[in-house]
Amino acid sequence: MPQWAYLLIAIIVIVLLAIIFVVSFIFYKRTPPPKGCENIGPSEGKCASCNEKGCHFNIYYDKNKKNDERK
Amino acid sequence: MSAIATFLLAIVSAMLIDNVVLSRFYGICSFIGVGNRVKSAYSMGLAVTFVIILASLVCWPIYYYVLVPAGIPFMDTLVYILVIASLVQVVGLFIKKKSPALYKSLGIYLPLITTNCAVLGVAQSNTDSGYTFAQSMSNAIGTSLGFLLIIVVFACIRERLESSNTPKAFKGVPLALVTAALMAMAFMGLQGIGA
Amino acid sequence: MESKDIRRSQHKESFVSGIIQENPLFVSVLGTCPALAITTTVEAAFGMGLLFTFVLVCSNIIISALRKLIPEEIETPAYIVVIAAFVTITKMLTEAFIPALYSSLGVFLSLLVVNCIVLGRAEAFANKNTVFDSLLDGLGNGIGYTLAIVVIALFREVLGAGTLTIGAIFTFVPKSTLYILKDAAGTYDYSMSLLTNPAGGFIVFGLILAVIYAVKNHKATIVKAKARAAAFAAAAKKAEPVVPAKEAVLATPAKEVK
Repeated sequence: MPQWAYLLIAIIVIVLLAIIFVVSFIFYKRTPPPKGCENIGPSEGKCASCNEKGCHFNIYYDKNKKNDERK
Repeated sequence: MSAIATFLLAIVSAMLIDNVVLSRFYGICSFIGVGNRVKSAYSMGLAVTFVIILASLVCWPIYYYVLVPAGIPFMDTLVYILVIASLVQVVGLFIKKKSPALYKSLGIYLPLITTNCAVLGVAQSNTDSGYTFAQSMSNAIGTSLGFLLIIVVFACIRERLESSNTPKAFKGVPLALVTAALMAMAFMGLQGIGA
Repeated sequence: MESKDIRRSQHKESFVSGIIQENPLFVSVLGTCPALAITTTVEAAFGMGLLFTFVLVCSNIIISALRKLIPEEIETPAYIVVIAAFVTITKMLTEAFIPALYSSLGVFLSLLVVNCIVLGRAEAFANKNTVFDSLLDGLGNGIGYTLAIVVIALFREVLGAGTLTIGAIFTFVPKSTLYILKDAAGTYDYSMSLLTNPAGGFIVFGLILAVIYAVKNHKATIVKAKARAAAFAAAAKKAEPVVPAKEAVLATPAKEVK
């Protein structure tokens, strides 16, 4: 197979991956959590001892804590 | 040595001897962040194991059969992160729809696994070091099992440390780091086995 | 003119806070993977810091420039793609111009894609602020991170290897070695080689964080003590109503005489 065919296949694969990523991301955000799990989120019990600063839950939790401390 | 023996030795080596977290420093962010609850550490470790194995399974063929023949091997980082991120979303969708119990235990950690250094680190080092497919799979399995082992042990240790009297300046992250240092020193003793 | 001054001070504040008050490594404890792995030599740490700053500033600029065009639902994928593109560019440039740095950083250069700091600054700051503000914020955080890992690397190299080598990676500087705890001829060697091992990295980082937390706790207790003293003084003032009444009585007879 000529060189440009390989390059075309590679570009198609990359674009396909990007589309799969975006589509699955939107679907994941839009499907509601299953029935027992609506209130999964930052909570005192789970997140007080966690030092994981990269977690977006932790960021929300810290923000809430700071607002409470200001009050 | 037979192929299976080499495979198993590679797994043990990635797990214990050249441990992924304590000696190669791959999953440090989540390792320090893991709290003192053993059950959540276990769930997180399982989720990471699953994603690492699936990701390496997909990334290696894409590199050698799609990117290299096309002459664009430098796009590997971008492709790997796309593969890992979409894998995480797809697995998350699957869990959300099919198994609420599983979602309850590891649902929160799934978005966190995308930015876990261990997953991208394994996928990238497989191709950077020029491994064959079998070598890269054993690297992946060993790394993920090693990560699981270390996280669970670490969470157990920190659970014990919670009730002890540590100096105030050390509470939290510094204590975790010193504990990790002691663990790393312990694992240093295993180096040289199977060389 | 006033609004310009206010904006200038805001810019300065966002720049300086990234270096000291909200240092991404020592205060927010983010991006620890490279901080432990690359810091065996000062030069490698400095190189990593430079590349990190480059990636952070560029991705901040682009994300901030595109912030009105990216729909909110697909923010995270878009940021990841932008950051990955810049990391690929950085990798190629480094491999071409400073190959020694490329080979000593290894996988950790690619791991800048999933570095919590880069993604975190993009999501927290760059998608809400102007291009110039995001540039300053990226520059501040980058300089702060570079300082932090160079400090860790200083401890690890000077105390662990006993020497300080410049010019091994950045080859335009002539290679020179400063022998501190070790003698060139090998007559004495006081270095602690544990510190160049992975375990040593954990120890140095943990001890530095402990020192920082101790200083913070000390300052916090001083602030608390002052607040308590001020509260006491205010409460004590409220409990004496006698003095004003006396002054009123003294004032009125003087007026009557006049």
